[in-house]
Amino acid sequence: MPTDSEKSNGLRLVLLGTFAALLALILVSGAAATRTLREMHQEELDARRAIAERAQSLSKLYVSIEVYNEDIGRYLGQAAERPDLEVRRQLDRLTSEIQSELNGYPRQRKPEEAAMLDFIDNLYRRHLELYESAIGAPAPDEARGEILTMRAQLVDGSGKLNAWNGRQLQSTDETLLAQFSRLQASLTGSLSIALGAGLLLVIASMAYILRLERQTRNRYRELSQSRHELEQLSSRLVDAQEEERRSISRELHDEVGQSLGALLVDLGRLASNLPAESSEIRERLDHMKSLTERTVGTVRDIALLLRPSMLDDLGLVAALEWQGREVSRRSEMEVAVESANVSDELPDEYKICVYRLVQEALNNAVRHAKARNAKVRVFGSASGIEIEVSDDGRGFDPQRARGLGILGMEERVKRLGGSLAVHSSPGQGTVLKAELPLPVPAGSPA
Amino acid sequence: MKQLRVLLADDHTLIRAGLRLVIDREPEFTVVGEASDGREAVALAQSLAPDIVVMDVGMPGLNGIEACRQIREGMPEVQVVMLSMHSDEGYVLRALKAGARAYLLKDSAEADLARAIRAASESKSFFSPAVGKVLLEDYMRTLERTGGEDSYELLSPREREVLQLVAEGKSSKEIANLLNLSVHTVETHRARVMQKLNLRGIPELILYAVRKGIIS
Repeated sequence: MPTDSEKSNGLRLVLLGTFAALLALILVSGAAATRTLREMHQEELDARRAIAERAQSLSKLYVSIEVYNEDIGRYLGQAAERPDLEVRRQLDRLTSEIQSELNGYPRQRKPEEAAMLDFIDNLYRRHLELYESAIGAPAPDEARGEILTMRAQLVDGSGKLNAWNGRQLQSTDETLLAQFSRLQASLTGSLSIALGAGLLLVIASMAYILRLERQTRNRYRELSQSRHELEQLSSRLVDAQEEERRSISRELHDEVGQSLGALLVDLGRLASNLPAESSEIRERLDHMKSLTERTVGTVRDIALLLRPSMLDDLGLVAALEWQGREVSRRSEMEVAVESANVSDELPDEYKICVYRLVQEALNNAVRHAKARNAKVRVFGSASGIEIEVSDDGRGFDPQRARGLGILGMEERVKRLGGSLAVHSSPGQGTVLKAELPLPVPAGSPA
Repeated sequence: MKQLRVLLADDHTLIRAGLRLVIDREPEFTVVGEASDGREAVALAQSLAPDIVVMDVGMPGLNGIEACRQIREGMPEVQVVMLSMHSDEGYVLRALKAGARAYLLKDSAEADLARAIRAASESKSFFSPAVGKVLLEDYMRTLERTGGEDSYELLSPREREVLQLVAEGKSSKEIANLLNLSVHTVETHRARVMQKLNLRGIPELILYAVRKGIIS
């Protein structure tokens, strides 16, 4: 089974081929029509030139024959009394003229034409013989009569040739006309083929486009589905991470914290039961106690980082205030927390989200922005909860530097259907705003 | 001697055992029961009616602060000593608002527990020394960084006296007797203190007093 891309490749090739063929067809038929037209034009020119040439030769021949006939008539009429030498010379000149004109008639001849020319030629030769003999001796009457008959036949022959010539012109015109209609037919044929092919091409293109559209739609659907899955996955990851942290924190608190606490109590009891004089042991006990206390503190800090138990013990607002003081204690930045209408009945995931958001933002403000002051504002309403964390630190360009921290915050906010916006520019501090819609209208505001 | 009946509430058996040892050392205290979460603590307080409940803040289910509120609402005569890992004012204030008399850090519970129980039984406040220290540090740091003014300087000597006595848990009538003033005058002083220090309610006043080291 060919894959989608192979299929569309094939279709694309077919389309390209059809298009090329169509273009070639139009080009070829156009070129052929142009050539045919040029040829026809040339042929017509040739034919007309040939006919004109013939007509010219014929008219000259005709004129010469007429003049000759006239002169010979005169000469024959006079010859008996005194032969006119002047006429004789003129006859000789005309004779050679007629001969040259007969020779000068275009060499390319059709059989019919040649026959007619031969007839004229023969007639003329015979006529010439008779004429020569008539000049030599006084012409007998029968010879004179024959010459006169021949004279008429000569004129008649050249007239026939002329008429034939006229017919030739007409038939050339008819041939051209026929050629032209053949050209028209062939052009019409190519045009119909081109039209059909074009129609085919359009249909194929439409099919191709529709298919591409369908593919795009499918891809888009797949893409949005996989994005949705990705979002779900990352949301599950956040959940899993929180769950993991919670269980480790509980483990630390329950197991390690409990043992250390019991150890502390025991150590204290031991110290108070010690006789006053054993100061060395008391010193060792005090050392052990302070070491255990430090360990308790460390374990508590780790557990708190993993799961802020103040969320469970005190609720969101107090936990945020605690966090603000904690950050103030541990860093050079003073945090002010302001809040109003924040319900203590918020679902746990909302509390965690807000808490982690503020935690990350304050963390960034201390670590990256080196801020001196930060303000946390949390406001609840019937529809949702608004969080704003602003600092007076170095700021950054949110378009360019978007750290993993902000991505993580975005992830947390998005999975609860909220939105996050970060406004900052170098030297201008940072304002982070988030809005979380509540799934159900909040019950009683705190 | 009247025995003080004590109820222990902590989700960790080891801690409860340690606390029990400390309490048993004092002849006038008796541990009457142990609860492992907030709900059990409330139920046992109702059935056993102890004088004192020693309660851990962080317990599963119902936390110590909530349990304290419920016990104090139902049985105002029962005093609560809160045990916590946190010296943060958020916890202290919540515990005070819930009606706790004493607030002990678990680290130092062993040393101060007996004193705390005794103070609570007399309706007096008691706080681990470390709590007051942390509260004061927080307060001073904030003042320093924000350039604020120490509002304690605004109080007159008489008002400071009234502040301390109120924080120690004395009623207006007791204070009036102690200072030879009318109850009305004491109330006026008290209101002025609250206003000058921008405090809302007795728990905040007690917290303020602890922070300033006026009481411990």
